[in-house]
Amino acid sequence: MPFLARRAAALVAAVLLASFTVFLIPYVTPGDPVRKIIRSRVAGDVIDDSAVDALSLQLGLNDPLWTQYLRWLGRLSSGDMGLSYTSRTPVAEQVLPALWITLSLVVLALGAAAAISVALGVTAALQEGRPADKVITAVTQAFIALPEYWLAPLFVLVFALQLSVLPSAGWEGPPSAVLPVAVLALRPTSYFTSAVREGVLEALSAEHVAAARSRGLSHLQTVWKHVIPNGLLPLTTLVAVWFAGLLGGSVLVEVIFAIPGMGRLLFDGVLNSDIPLAQGAVVVVVGLAVLLTTAADLVHGLLNPQIRMSHA
Amino acid sequence: MPEGLIIERLRISHGADSRQGSATRIVSEMDLSVAPGEFVALVGTSGSGKTMTALSVLGLLPPRIHVESGSIRLGGTDLRAAGEAELNRVRGGRIGMLFQQPKRMFNPRKTVGNHLAEPLKLHRGLRGRSARMQALDLLAEAGFEDPAWCARAYPHQLSGGMAQRAMLAVAMAGRPELLLADEPTSALDKVLELQILELIGRQRHSHGLGVLYITHDLATVSAFADRVVVMKAGRVQESGPVRTVLDTPRTTCTKDLLRASALPAAPAPSAAPSRTVLDLHSVTKRFRSNRRSARPALEDVSLDFREGEILGILGQSGSGKSTLARLILGLETPESGSITRFPGTKDNRSGTSGTEVQLVFQEPHDVFDPRMKLRTSLEAPLQQRRDCTAEDRTARIDKVVREVELDPALLDRYPSQCSGGQLQRLTIARALLLEPAVLICDEATSALDAVTQRKVLDLLLRLHRDRQLSLIMISHDMNVIRYMSHRVAVLFQGALVEVAPTAEFFAHPQHGHSKELVAAALPVPQAARACQHVASTIRVPGARDLVSSPDPR
Repeated sequence: MPFLARRAAALVAAVLLASFTVFLIPYVTPGDPVRKIIRSRVAGDVIDDSAVDALSLQLGLNDPLWTQYLRWLGRLSSGDMGLSYTSRTPVAEQVLPALWITLSLVVLALGAAAAISVALGVTAALQEGRPADKVITAVTQAFIALPEYWLAPLFVLVFALQLSVLPSAGWEGPPSAVLPVAVLALRPTSYFTSAVREGVLEALSAEHVAAARSRGLSHLQTVWKHVIPNGLLPLTTLVAVWFAGLLGGSVLVEVIFAIPGMGRLLFDGVLNSDIPLAQGAVVVVVGLAVLLTTAADLVHGLLNPQIRMSHA
Repeated sequence: MPEGLIIERLRISHGADSRQGSATRIVSEMDLSVAPGEFVALVGTSGSGKTMTALSVLGLLPPRIHVESGSIRLGGTDLRAAGEAELNRVRGGRIGMLFQQPKRMFNPRKTVGNHLAEPLKLHRGLRGRSARMQALDLLAEAGFEDPAWCARAYPHQLSGGMAQRAMLAVAMAGRPELLLADEPTSALDKVLELQILELIGRQRHSHGLGVLYITHDLATVSAFADRVVVMKAGRVQESGPVRTVLDTPRTTCTKDLLRASALPAAPAPSAAPSRTVLDLHSVTKRFRSNRRSARPALEDVSLDFREGEILGILGQSGSGKSTLARLILGLETPESGSITRFPGTKDNRSGTSGTEVQLVFQEPHDVFDPRMKLRTSLEAPLQQRRDCTAEDRTARIDKVVREVELDPALLDRYPSQCSGGQLQRLTIARALLLEPAVLICDEATSALDAVTQRKVLDLLLRLHRDRQLSLIMISHDMNVIRYMSHRVAVLFQGALVEVAPTAEFFAHPQHGHSKELVAAALPVPQAARACQHVASTIRVPGARDLVSSPDPR
């Protein structure tokens, strides 16, 4: 299958490019990484120059960049992301639990967004031009403009502090997930709703829908069998793209709600100049994002018989 | 004895409220009936209200269009008074419908089998295995040699003719007593059109099916119809038995339609042998595609085209006609072989053709930018010329627009405000602005109704005389080719199989494919009965045959 082979090649290329960019992080950030390592291991501000040289030699930092990259890549592929400067524990041990938390957060948010947007979008499309459509469109459009860093404090203020019905921070049990999932889901819900509305409207205007009526299908049967399935197709790609985007985009929400996920890890890594931690977090997020985007393409192809068969 | 479909004094209007007088009448005082087993042709130019009449029978008029008054009855049931549930039983159950663009009438994500399952379940309560068996029977009846393949096929795998036959199977699935066919063959070539008509005829005889066949092509349908109803501007102009209407047409509308359908044979070829303007030598062109092995779109085509000549290029869809046009224009380069334009002159060059060869496209609505006024669109080619001032441009455009028999005032409109015939004239005008020596008309009249087509063809003939314009007419329509051309070239699966003077070609076609094409060109109305014989002898190709034939694009 040349199609899959081409996709796979593109995937590998994208991952390699991303990993190389991540690898370069310590070289483009200010400060000498070797001094950072030593500072993280010994107390005191005075650093012996000979110790710097010795560690550089020991870490192979005098080797050409390509050699270093390949060595780093080799370790990465065996799951070794190095030691965190701050906690002095392997980065991989911190990344895995954090990844799990972030994935739960994002999947919950996207699931909620998809479910709500299908209901709203289909309703709006079927009621096109009537009050229900206008209200749904206006409200969802308004939420597109509201950023998470504004919504999150507002939600905390209302639901956690004023009403005291939900915890304001942490990641322990379902109640603590409600606010962050809600904040994270709002913007995708807005985008998804308008995509579903457009998709269903387009599907409604297709000529084959009129033909279905001429076969004796009622309006509802036609909508259910021919309009909604076709109208929801654009959503599949959109969800996958947003999945990739939210993996990195959850940083703000995780920081605001003190959720120990990937975003939080990344944030801490950058804040403390903990380069291995930041590198590990970025590599995992970017890798997943690339994987998901490719998956989105494949799913889109699978759902469209014309694309599916032309590559079979 | 059931009474079939009876429409009386039907009025259909467009607009919010007819009582306020703001509504536009689309159909007025329409009387029409189709007895069981009868084949009635509803004929008229585009916009005459034929389709709306058909849709009103099914209760499926578009929004804002409604039946104002009159009655529609089917076998005793008053369809105007029927509720939605009753209508849903009628749609597909008692009335089957065929549409003009069959491929667009299938849900692209469902198989033909899925589509057949719906009416089988709704109207006959068939599910599962019995439904599948019945679906295969229906597809076999619709002429598919491999019904199982077709049931599994998605719409994009079907050719236009196959899609219409599959749609016929779907329409027949509910065992209807009436078939509404809304220009089901206007987008197909003659051979396929006859296959569809022949299949409909078979259903009619075996099931006592009444047929209301909507068309603008009086010629073809007259061989199959019992009665003809001619419509113009929403009113019935004339109706009666097919022979009476064809032999003694009473209204100018019918005469126009007849004259347009029965295009006479070509004038004798202009005698003096003139110089060659285009010389194609052993031209081959392939398109790379990862879907199928690169079967050549054109293979080893050699052809010379002389000044002042009208050359007809015949071929079914996918035969390579459009590729040939693009090669002559220089929009494509041949893989091997050579194309010489104007040999022996300074213009002899191998790249693009410059302005000496111009093209007129098939779909006039797609040719002009919908957001530009027509004058702006027409000015574009002249703006390339340094020697042409703004006043020059206006004068030249006005002159050429008058030459195609239009009022220059039309140029202040947008394309959506013009009819197809007007736009096609403007397409020709735009091509003429650059003073071409050769005009290629690629199915230039196929999208027009018969009357408009005749007028545009006559315009082209006049331009040919007045301007000594050489014409290449590319068409699948035998009548157009015979009416226009001095010589005929036949393309079949990318190869040039026959080139002959028009009269000779139609009298004695040599190649097998040519013979099939000539047989399908109905010399109606004079020999309508003979055609019925021809139609019944035409083999309906099975799925396999058509699958292997090339895709149009």
